[in-house]
Amino acid sequence: MNPAVGFTAVIAVSVITALIGIYGLRVSRTTSDFYVASRTVRPWWNASAIGGEYLSAASFLGIAGLIMISGLDALWFPIGYTAGYLMLLFFVAAPLRRSGAYTIPDFAEARLGSTGARHVTSILVVMVGWLYIVPQLHGAALTIRTTTGLPSWVGAVAVVVIVCLTVITGGMRSITFVQAFQFWLKLTALAVPAFFILLLVTGTAGTLPGGPLPAGTDFFPPSDPLGSGSMYTTLSLLVALLFGTLGLPHVLVRFYTNPDGAAARRTTLIVLGLLSIFYLFPTIFGVLGRVFLPGLAKEGTPDATVLLLPGALVGGMGGSLLTALVVAGAFAAFLSTTSGLVVSLAGVISQDLLGGSVRGFRIAAVGAAVVPLVVALGTDSLALAGTVGLVFAFTASTVCPLLLLGIWWRGLTDAGAVAGMVVGGVLCGAAIMLAARVGVDSGWRDVLAQPAAWTVPASFITMVLVSLATPRRRSPGAARFMSKLHVPERPLAHPGPSR
Amino acid sequence: MNDDGVPESQPVPPAAPPAAGRVRVVAPGSQARHLPELTSVSQEVAEQSAVGEVMVRSLIRSQLRLSLVVAFGFMAALFIGTMVLRWVPGFSAWRILGIPAPWLMLGAGVYPVIGACAWLYVRAATKNENQYRDLVEEK
Repeated sequence: MNPAVGFTAVIAVSVITALIGIYGLRVSRTTSDFYVASRTVRPWWNASAIGGEYLSAASFLGIAGLIMISGLDALWFPIGYTAGYLMLLFFVAAPLRRSGAYTIPDFAEARLGSTGARHVTSILVVMVGWLYIVPQLHGAALTIRTTTGLPSWVGAVAVVVIVCLTVITGGMRSITFVQAFQFWLKLTALAVPAFFILLLVTGTAGTLPGGPLPAGTDFFPPSDPLGSGSMYTTLSLLVALLFGTLGLPHVLVRFYTNPDGAAARRTTLIVLGLLSIFYLFPTIFGVLGRVFLPGLAKEGTPDATVLLLPGALVGGMGGSLLTALVVAGAFAAFLSTTSGLVVSLAGVISQDLLGGSVRGFRIAAVGAAVVPLVVALGTDSLALAGTVGLVFAFTASTVCPLLLLGIWWRGLTDAGAVAGMVVGGVLCGAAIMLAARVGVDSGWRDVLAQPAAWTVPASFITMVLVSLATPRRRSPGAARFMSKLHVPERPLAHPGPSR
Repeated sequence: MNDDGVPESQPVPPAAPPAAGRVRVVAPGSQARHLPELTSVSQEVAEQSAVGEVMVRSLIRSQLRLSLVVAFGFMAALFIGTMVLRWVPGFSAWRILGIPAPWLMLGAGVYPVIGACAWLYVRAATKNENQYRDLVEEK
């Protein structure tokens, strides 16, 4: 591949991101602007921004890569990624917006009336964020290596530097614009090449570089490992993805930027539509990749399918342009998810450790980005979608029970919440580490490698039992806080007499 | 001068009209529209009385019931789909426009179902809230 194409695409995305960030700086002045964009972002903007933030390396590159490896079973990933928002809509979106808290630890403290519970939540949120940034940086390393031939670390470092600059200068307000732009960039970057490739493959226009497809080429060979994954693995994966989404810090912080609870619901509805459209395209890339680039899976870089397919199928200038578009989209994916995570982590770290000032936010942002960079440089990229799936399992075992029980059950106490989160976190972390040491054919491997199906219930049960055992520790303000979460705001159409 | 723009030490003649004074021109903190705090009247009403408390509890209960029903409905649909995929023998061989039915179902067919569940939920949740509002305002 011509390195100039990759360079141009990466530099163009970075410059545009920085420009929108600087434009955002002009409308972002107060502390409140910095954290949650003054809570006045419109549903369409907000939904695009959530889409931009959420569609990470795992979605953009990972799903197609996974289809290359495991075929049909990979489709459960995009389904889970999307349906996670359904659970978020049902159980969390509107109440969380009404809670009036900036971050998940804020929510924990307000609901449980305990700074101890707040600190435990903060630590978990920061861990989730760091774990989630690492695969983004791996994706960036892969992209830079594949498209420009530069060493891997350049990609990871470039993402961290650009993200730090945008976040430090603009805070969340500018991030909202950047994210919204990046969603549409990502969608275009997959949709346009997919369209051209489908035209070629179906023989509607042009010819493939390697001549027409041999007659009888089957995109879905009957030898497909149909449902080869065990029932348990699929189920556990779905539990992780469905319940992990509603604990992701960078997704949740977005809901605070809605004007009210009803707008938070509308935003989620739009997000679901946007994700449904987006996820059609990685599937198309994956299916075509199996036919045209079968070597990638054997070489151990199936995640590069999306990056290489347009260049391999469309020759000449057109191929270079499409490749540039895809590389730009991939880079947008790393930038947007990483910056979303860095913003939310910086919010948590600066409020807990640095007093919540704008200066503290900036220092915390650098810290939030540099730690995962060190981890990413010291580790190797696994399958991106799989790694991110494990982060979802961890979130579903820790933050998710806190949110669900905190929002819907009066009986939750601080002791119960902390015990549940610790049990879920320790079990899930231990299972994932053990899975790496267990032999491939051990019967325990699936259970350990995909632990959500038992760690999530364990966390819920611990939370409920310990809360029932410590009824005296119920927060006195809990009833009032619960009514704040669920009672609808006065509709904006009827402003009060004072205005 | 102190922050209020009033001279600190100069005596002001008692009969003088309010000094033409300084008009503080303050830039808005941001161009964003600052919304007032949205604690609602209905919430205040709810907190004042035992009846209000009961109404809030019933609102929470009906919202939770709604969420659980739609969530379990969706999961059941997903589960039945998976069962069909695995155990109905003809299904995986069936093709539409050359694409096998399992790929169509998992790659595209699930998403309209997700959208429909979400839309139904938002409608019903808003209706619950409107009912609560009507109840509180009648009181």
